[in-house]
Amino acid sequence: MTDVSRRAFLAAAGAGAAAIWLTAESRDVIAASRHAMQATRFQVLSGADAADLEAATSQIVPTDDTPGAREARVVYFIDRALATFAKDQKKSVESGLKELRKRAAKQVRGAKSFAALPNDKQIAVIASMEKDKHEFFFALRYMTIAGMLSNPEYGGNYNKTGWKWIGFDDRFSWATPFGWYDRNA
Amino acid sequence: MPDHTHDHPPLTPLQQSTVKYRPEDEVDFVVVGSGAAGGVVAKELSTAGFRVVVLEQGPWRTEKDFVHDELKTWNENLLTNNWKDSPNTFRKTEKDKANVKPSVLYGRGVGGTSVHFSANFWRFREIDFKEASVKGTVPGTGLVDWPITYQELEPYYTKVDWEVGVAGAPGPYDPPRSRPYPMPPHPAKSTGALLEAGAKKLGWKPFPAPMAIVSKLYQGRSACAQCGFCLGFGCEVRAKSSALVTVIPAAVATGKCEVRPNSYVRKVETDAKGRATGVKYFDANKQEIYQRAKAVVVCANGAETPRLLLNSKSNLFPNGLANSSGVVGKYLMFNGGGYSNGVFEHEVNGYKGIVATRLVWDLYELDPKLGLSGGGGFDFRFADTPINFVMGSLPPDSPTWGSAFKKLVENTYNRQLSCYGHTTSLPVATNSISLDPSLKDAWGVPAIRMTYQDHPNDMKLYQYFADRGEELLKAAGAKQTWKAKPESQDFSVHLLGTCRMGNDPKTSVVDKYNRTHDVKNLFVVDGSSLVTSGRGQPTMTIQALAFRAGDNIAGFAKRREI
Repeated sequence: MTDVSRRAFLAAAGAGAAAIWLTAESRDVIAASRHAMQATRFQVLSGADAADLEAATSQIVPTDDTPGAREARVVYFIDRALATFAKDQKKSVESGLKELRKRAAKQVRGAKSFAALPNDKQIAVIASMEKDKHEFFFALRYMTIAGMLSNPEYGGNYNKTGWKWIGFDDRFSWATPFGWYDRNA
Repeated sequence: MPDHTHDHPPLTPLQQSTVKYRPEDEVDFVVVGSGAAGGVVAKELSTAGFRVVVLEQGPWRTEKDFVHDELKTWNENLLTNNWKDSPNTFRKTEKDKANVKPSVLYGRGVGGTSVHFSANFWRFREIDFKEASVKGTVPGTGLVDWPITYQELEPYYTKVDWEVGVAGAPGPYDPPRSRPYPMPPHPAKSTGALLEAGAKKLGWKPFPAPMAIVSKLYQGRSACAQCGFCLGFGCEVRAKSSALVTVIPAAVATGKCEVRPNSYVRKVETDAKGRATGVKYFDANKQEIYQRAKAVVVCANGAETPRLLLNSKSNLFPNGLANSSGVVGKYLMFNGGGYSNGVFEHEVNGYKGIVATRLVWDLYELDPKLGLSGGGGFDFRFADTPINFVMGSLPPDSPTWGSAFKKLVENTYNRQLSCYGHTTSLPVATNSISLDPSLKDAWGVPAIRMTYQDHPNDMKLYQYFADRGEELLKAAGAKQTWKAKPESQDFSVHLLGTCRMGNDPKTSVVDKYNRTHDVKNLFVVDGSSLVTSGRGQPTMTIQALAFRAGDNIAGFAKRREI
């Protein structure tokens, strides 16, 4: 295949368990956007789930001198998605969170939450899941990236944080020069 | 309204069909499919005064349905076939077990794939029609000459340029043209400027890419706004010259053509004399309807057309309709390619603007010493929407999470691009679309089984183009380059060759006028008629063939030769 980018397709269909999100029977993605932008409370996630998901996605795209997943409100994107187009993914997210906590308890005896771990231990947990190619690692990664880079109507990418991160601007018209090389050709 | 929603003035809605035919009316033509080919055929036949019903399996969308929404567009198969309702199976060879796996992607809706395609509009060159006799055949393939030449098709290429709307400028390797382009090419983006710089260093001659996207006000359609959402998306400003906004409105304006959306054809019906009598289709409520017609033109694309013919078997046609040769579904071609990638020092911003602005055709035909059949052309492009890019296009061995990942993405999205080496792919008889013996779609119709393995020549060809492409990127100044090893393809959007054109009814499905050899009033017009694959961009040729077929079919009908 050439034109519909092969890589794009592989990203959608072949990226391990990340694909669980992309193969969702998503007839009502748009419903997610209708609810979005006024994220005051969670529709699906419990407080504890939201805290752990926020901490975990913030390890995928951390906050440093620039905003990360937390500031992009990725966790709200996930909540909206689970309430709407990714309804059928609720169970896999729940079991993923269970795994996350199990691994958290291995790092710090008796720990009941991932979010409560110190930063280095959180990193160790995510690294262990990556190493084992655990499907929740891929799901976390996809949810974070989709939550950062999808249209803000879905509840993430707050203030276009994700688009600013990568340098994308969703304008509806552009003119020359588009970049450095056509300006300096 | 979210603040990133566009603020273009609303477009005047395009008129939908005013004429309505009843299924029991025997119309002159029923056209199956409303895409690049079906739209042209409908326009040509209705303009000639014939009563035409176009049956399109998907909905009739307008610009309001097209959104800059990556999640929705990809996640929901918003504009395309979806693999849940329309699954298929795939196997590499006839010996393998076929497993369910998405293998074809095409536009589902009025306008077909031309709604969401990139709009690269290369003409074929003379050599594409006679490669076998000029360069020689290749063992294990069905590489043969076309029954027509470039010169015979040229007037219709020109018709496409002017009626559909193609922007471009003559290049050093252009085949002869009878009329200039109707409008100037699009400005070079940084991807185009880099391709030009790299190509000149290698002694090659880059030139502006011909694109079916209008570069100025043309036939009431406004110039491209360079928004960057071409590939995979519908055009919100009507600048992309899709069938939806060009030939379909022209067909509808005749008052003779009814385009019926949400109408999924499952069978071409024939009578005891072996003539087509119409088609059976499901409407939006899955009610079966029998539309009668004096003649049928199938324009359903290179995968769905052979499937429909094979599903139309009867006592008289036990191997499927128009398949006395046994060639229906065979010689499936995709176009292949060699892909390489590069990261540059400064901002490329490839996400802005149309997909490709400059081309290199210096390897369209290869040095015979290489011992490779075929050839190709290059463009530099960056057509990744944000999520797809970060999920699937970062340099190899990149970190995938954490601070280093975050930094990398920050410095790469605007500086990365790909070199696409678009190539031929050889016609191989065992590469095919057939019916899966057990899998059915959501309507209970036997599903597609694809069998496909790239020919060894093509695997080498893809590698050659990936290697040359990487050199091109380096010559352009890329500070980092990489390429993936080519793999045999198992998925395509270019669906070609499965009802090949030829003079001999024993070895081809349609004659040089796109009439099936077996059924006098059945025509097949789309990518399936292609005898060879061209160098990667087939739609221009599909539309030229459709204009030519429409012209000829109208002539046959007027002379009562159908």
